[in-house]
Amino acid sequence: MATTTTTLERRAIWPKSLLASLRLSSPVFLIATTLLVVHFLVALTGPFWAPYAATEMLVGKTYEPPSSRHLLGTDNFGRDIFSRVVLGERVVLSLALSSAFIAVVFGSAIGILLAYTLGWVDLLAMRAIEIIISIPPLILALLVLGALSPSYVLIVLTVAFFYIPRVATVIRAATLDVVTEDFVTIARLRGESAWSIGARELLPNVMISVFVEFSLRTGYAVLFIGGLSFLGFGAPPPSPEWGLMINEGRSYISAAPWAVLGPSLALASLVIAVSLFTEGLGERLGLSIRRERVG
Amino acid sequence: MRYALRLLIPRLALALITLLAVSLAVFWAVEWLPGDAATRILGQAATPERAQVLREKMHLDDPPLTRYLLWLGGFVRGDWGESLVAERPVLDLVLPRLRNTLILATLALILYVPLSLGLGVFTAVFRDRWFAAGLSALILAGTAMPEFVTGILLILVFAVALPWFPPLALIERVKSLPELVHTLALPTITLTIAMTAYAVRMMQGSLVSVLESDYVRMATLKGLPPVRVIQRHALPNALGPALRVTVLNVAWLIGGVVLVENVFNFPGIGQLLVDSIRVLDTAVVEAVAMITAGVYIGANLGADLAAGLLNPRLRAS
Repeated sequence: MATTTTTLERRAIWPKSLLASLRLSSPVFLIATTLLVVHFLVALTGPFWAPYAATEMLVGKTYEPPSSRHLLGTDNFGRDIFSRVVLGERVVLSLALSSAFIAVVFGSAIGILLAYTLGWVDLLAMRAIEIIISIPPLILALLVLGALSPSYVLIVLTVAFFYIPRVATVIRAATLDVVTEDFVTIARLRGESAWSIGARELLPNVMISVFVEFSLRTGYAVLFIGGLSFLGFGAPPPSPEWGLMINEGRSYISAAPWAVLGPSLALASLVIAVSLFTEGLGERLGLSIRRERVG
Repeated sequence: MRYALRLLIPRLALALITLLAVSLAVFWAVEWLPGDAATRILGQAATPERAQVLREKMHLDDPPLTRYLLWLGGFVRGDWGESLVAERPVLDLVLPRLRNTLILATLALILYVPLSLGLGVFTAVFRDRWFAAGLSALILAGTAMPEFVTGILLILVFAVALPWFPPLALIERVKSLPELVHTLALPTITLTIAMTAYAVRMMQGSLVSVLESDYVRMATLKGLPPVRVIQRHALPNALGPALRVTVLNVAWLIGGVVLVENVFNFPGIGQLLVDSIRVLDTAVVEAVAMITAGVYIGANLGADLAAGLLNPRLRAS
């Protein structure tokens, strides 16, 4: 029997072509992306130009209203709020991005594996995942973080733990579309190992979903970690995490409302930027974002 | 009817299993809480002998599995143990808090249902007007803003800057219904904003596709006034997704209410959960976690069922 030498078309989408397909036509998407870039730049370069340190307490300068020296005033310890917001950007983004990254890496691996294996392993695993997803995240997160004293690492791991099954579900669904394609069957007949198939045939074709999930999870993580810190179970003081800052500023809100306003607006703008970016990204890449209810 | 049962039974079974899993997870997490419960209860009067006696009485030295089964058995029978901090039965602590949260949730839902339906239809019908973009942006802001930020901003504007409403929702001192509404206004609005924004965004897709469908165009061409078109076509088609979204919102309320109650210092069940975790009051934590998880799981179950029942296409399976 003659062997066919034509290689079947792979619909592999690598990051380079991903960027190419991002037509920044919609003004909303453009604004969101710009805002996101601004946030990133602040996070990356903040420490170089922030006027004061995050924990620097200026003696005798507590509750100062916004001025040219203190753009957002000072808080009850005499710390410059503007600097804290700027330096907090780094904390907020790194926590959220790390959680999302870990969740997406492990979640995608599990999702692809399950979609390829199918059978009773898949059935069992999906039941287990359904059960885990049904547990309200806030309760368990509060318990874990309340039991073991919160640290950045613990926060990232806890949040990632909650997102892994959700990412796995989405990526598994996306992979199921690909698994039935001919080139996968041919790869298996060729004798390619499961790992190789997973990495070289399946993964590139679900990259779009992976990227969108990453963006989505980052947005949710910012909200989740902000909420946890607000309740006192997240970033430990004196971290300039915005949720924590809002909580700390609450007790003297009438004396110094700017202490709460600064981080609130920063947090809101970040979440809005990420949400709009994720939606725009999904639309452009042909996916409809299933909007989960963040509980 | 048989179809409904076929939908219900497996999901109900899964929901119960999930609840069991939650109880296991909660119990196991509480196991890790540092400190010895017996010495904590005795406080000043703690001596090694007394602590040992108390430990035996509370079965604290038994293997975890035994304790879990003991607790589970008691829980199912209505015996939720005693709060370590307040030294009262957990049930006495939990019920008033639950009542408070239910009041708040009910107020928010009363506000949310007409608002979301109205806004949903409004944004769909007027989607081509000049203010549509601005309206969408506002709704987006409502979904993206974390509830505690919304709450704090509302306090800043309506309680600090303009002293219209109280910043703390002290429900215990309320004596009349108008007073109740006034005290709970800000937390209710906070919850309503979050739920409405989410609902409107979820409903938009289906509403717009209905309004752009052929039979609606036929109705308008037939000469039906726009109001009637909305009444007979837009609204009925909004109800299906609206129901599903509402149930999902109820599920969200469980988590969202924790943050909002914290912002307004509202003595509800969310606050109880956070406070009891903070002071490591194990019995209360376990009870409240089970209640909140139960409502969350139940609401998700409801959403699944609603989707299944309302969508005839799913019945083909």
